[in-house]
Amino acid sequence: MTDLPSPTVYVVDDDEAVRTSLAWLIGSVGLAVRAFGSADAFLAAWTEERPGCLVLDVRMPGMSGLELQEALARRGSSLPVIIVTGHADVPMAVRALKAGAIDFIEKPFNDQLLLDRIQDAVKRSQAAFAGQARRARVQSLLARLTPRERQVAELVAAGKPNKVIAFELDLSMKTVEVHRHNAMDKLEVASVADLTRLFMEAGPA
Amino acid sequence: MRWILALCLCVWTAAAAAAPPVRVGVLAYRGGDHAIAVWEPTIRYLADRLPGRGAVMVPLDLAGIEAAVRERSIDFVLTNTGQYVDLEARHGITRIATLRSHRAGRDGGAIGSAILVRADDARLRTLADLDGRRLAAVDGDAFGGFQVAWGELLEAGVDPFRGGGTLFTGFPLDRVVLAVRDGAADAGIVRACLLEEMAAEGRIDAGSFRVLAPRSVPGFGCAVSTRLYPDWPFSRLADTPEDLAKAVVIALLEMPVDHPAAQAAGTAGWAVPLDYQPVHALFQTLGIGPYRNLRPASVIDLLRAHWHWLAIGGVGLLWWVVHVVRVEHLVKRRTAELRAANRDLQQEMAERRRAQEESRRRQIEMDHVARLSILGEMASNLAHELNQPLAAITNYARGCARRLDAGTADPAELVEATRAISAQAERAAQIIQRIRDFVRKRAPLVEPMDVNAAVLAARALCDSRARGAGVTLRLALADGLPPVAADRLQIEQVVLNLILNALDAMAEAAPADPTVTLTTHAGDGRVELAVADHGPGLAPHLRDRLFEPFFTTKPQGMGLGLSICRTIVEAHGGRLWAEDNPDGGLVMRVSLPASEKEAS
Repeated sequence: MTDLPSPTVYVVDDDEAVRTSLAWLIGSVGLAVRAFGSADAFLAAWTEERPGCLVLDVRMPGMSGLELQEALARRGSSLPVIIVTGHADVPMAVRALKAGAIDFIEKPFNDQLLLDRIQDAVKRSQAAFAGQARRARVQSLLARLTPRERQVAELVAAGKPNKVIAFELDLSMKTVEVHRHNAMDKLEVASVADLTRLFMEAGPA
Repeated sequence: MRWILALCLCVWTAAAAAAPPVRVGVLAYRGGDHAIAVWEPTIRYLADRLPGRGAVMVPLDLAGIEAAVRERSIDFVLTNTGQYVDLEARHGITRIATLRSHRAGRDGGAIGSAILVRADDARLRTLADLDGRRLAAVDGDAFGGFQVAWGELLEAGVDPFRGGGTLFTGFPLDRVVLAVRDGAADAGIVRACLLEEMAAEGRIDAGSFRVLAPRSVPGFGCAVSTRLYPDWPFSRLADTPEDLAKAVVIALLEMPVDHPAAQAAGTAGWAVPLDYQPVHALFQTLGIGPYRNLRPASVIDLLRAHWHWLAIGGVGLLWWVVHVVRVEHLVKRRTAELRAANRDLQQEMAERRRAQEESRRRQIEMDHVARLSILGEMASNLAHELNQPLAAITNYARGCARRLDAGTADPAELVEATRAISAQAERAAQIIQRIRDFVRKRAPLVEPMDVNAAVLAARALCDSRARGAGVTLRLALADGLPPVAADRLQIEQVVLNLILNALDAMAEAAPADPTVTLTTHAGDGRVELAVADHGPGLAPHLRDRLFEPFFTTKPQGMGLGLSICRTIVEAHGGRLWAEDNPDGGLVMRVSLPASEKEAS
C-alpha cells in the first residue's frame, strides 16, 4: 500500500488571485497543489496517475466547470471534483452533482470546511487507487493458474470439501488435492481463508 | 366788421348825359340817415354845378370808404381827417378843399377831442388822472373821436390801451356819451363840439358832464381837451380826371356861406385845403394810419392786427399741446406696456430657467436611476466581483496562519503572501470606488475623454457577469483614438448598457461562438464604437422601436436602457443605431464627434 503515488490537488480558477491563494491555503496542510487558469489548460496537463482531487470554479470563460466534469467522465476518471462557486445557483449545483461532483462549496467558504472536504476527497481517491492496485495484483495471480486449477481453487474458496469437488468435476480425490496445492502455491496463500478473501477482492468474475 | 350801409343812390341829372354821374363816397359816421341829412344837399349842389354829369352820394363807413378807394369805385371822397391822411399816404388821394367850420380856430383847425367825465366825478382833474381808468371812444380809427385824444393822452403819460383800457362803443357817437353817463366808463373821448351839439338837440343834459383839461383855443367855440387839427377834406382819387377835380374845387369854393348845403352840413362852406402835416405828425407819434409799422407795437395792437394769425397760432399751439399731451400719454402707455412686457419676459425667462434647471435635475436624476438600475441588475455580479479579492485575501491569511501554527512557515513565502493580501485589498477597494463613481449622483461633466478608457471601465464592471455567462468579451480597440468631448461616466454607462444587452442576447441564444466584440475606430472627425453580439438579432420591425422608452424584449427589462443611451449619445452630438451582424446577431453602433482638444 505504501507504494501509492503521493496525492495532488488540482485547482482550476480563471481568477489568478483566487487560484494562487487557494493553492497557498491548500498547501498549508502539506498537500501538493497544481493550479490552472482554465479547463483546457488543466485537461492538457492532467493524467490520472496519482490520487488527488479537483477544486473547480464552475463559472469560467471558455470551457465551463460543468463541461470539464463531462470531459473527465468521458475519460473514465475517478478524480473527485469539488465545485466552488460564488453563486448558490441550485440548478447548476444539481447539474454538477449529477455529473459526479462530490461536493459543492459556496464562496466565501470556511477554510476548514474546504480543507476537510479536500482531505476527504483525497482519501477517497487514494482508496480508489489502492483498491484498483489490489484488484490488479489478484488478477495477475489468478492469471498464473491453469483453467483446471482455477476451477478447483474457486470451488475451494466457495468452501467445498475435496470429495465434493472431485465428484462435481469428475476427478479423483488425488488429482483434486494436487490442483488445490498448486493453486494455493501460485496464489501465494497459505489457508483456505486467505484464498476466499483473495477471490472476494477480485470481485465478481 | 365789414358792413356796408344801405346804399342810397340819389341821382340828380340836369340833362340826359352820356357820362356817368360823379360818385362821391361820404363817411357816414353816425349812420346813413344822418349822413344823407348832412351831406345830401352838398352832393345835390355839386350835381347842379356839374351839368352833363350829375353826382351820386355813396354813404360808406370807414372800411367801406377804404375799399371803395382801393377799388376805385368812387371819384371823390368826403371823409374825416384821420382817414384822409391814411388814404393819402396809401392810395394817393389828394385833398382839394377843406371844410370851413363855423367854430374853427384862428389857424383854421377845427377838429379836436373832448374828454368827457361825469360832472360829479371829482377824482379826475387832469389828463394824467386818467391813467388806469376805463375810457370809452367810438372807434380806434376815429380821428377826432379818439386818435387826437390818444396823442394828447400819450403826452400826458397815459396809455389808453393800458390799465382799464378803452371801450370802443362803435357808432353812433352817442354811445360814448351814454357809456360815461351810465358809469360803463370813467371818461369818454368824443369829437369836440359833439357834446354841445347833443345838448343843443336836447338829448343830454350838458350839466351832467365836464370836459377834462379844457384848452382855450382862440376862435374855437367848443370845449376841447386837445389841440385842433384841420377839418374834413374833400379829396379826389389819384386817377380822377383833372378837369373834373378842378370843376368840383371851383364849385365847392364858390359855395356861399349861407348856402342850404353849407347849413345842412353845419359848416361855413369850403376853403382852400389846409396843411394836414400836423395830422401826419400825430399819426407818426401814434404809429397808426400809414405809420402803422413804425409804432412800437403794443400787445393789444398786435393782437388787433394779427388776431387771425394769433388765432391760427393759438389753434396750432392748442393742437401742439394736445399732440404733446397725446404723445406723452401714448409714450406713457407704451412705456407701461413695454414695462409689463419686459416683466412678463423676465418672468418667462425665470420660468424657463427654472424649467431648464428642473429638466437638468431630472436628467441627472434619470441618469442616476438608470445607472442604479444597471448596477442593480449587476448586483450579484458585482458581489461576485468583490468576493474574488476577499476570498483571495481570506485564503492567503488562513494559509499563513496554518503554516505558522504548524511551524512550517517559510518567511520568504509569508512575505509573498502578505504582499498578495494587500494587493487584493487594493483590488477590492478599486471595485468599490468604481461602483461609487458609477452610481454617484452628479451633474454631467463634459471634457475631452478617451472612448477606449470608457470601454475598459465598462468592461471591468461587467467582466464577471460575462465570465459567469461563459461569454468572452473580445476587445478590438484602435490605437491613437482622438478624444471626444463627453461626460466619461455617461459614455461608460452607454457602453455598459450595450454590453449587458449583448450578454442578455447571448444568454437567450446560447450560440456556438459566445463572444461579444467591442470595437473602436476613428475616422471622418468621429469616433465610432461597436458592440457586436452573436445573439438572435432583431427583426426589422422591432429594430425601429428599439429606442422607444419602455420597449423591451426582455422579460424583466424596464425598457429604459437604450432610450436613455440614445438620449445621452444625442446630447453629446452623436448617434446610436442598430445593425445586423453579418456573422449573426446584432451590432450596436455609437458615433461621437471627435473633440479638437486633447484628452485630459
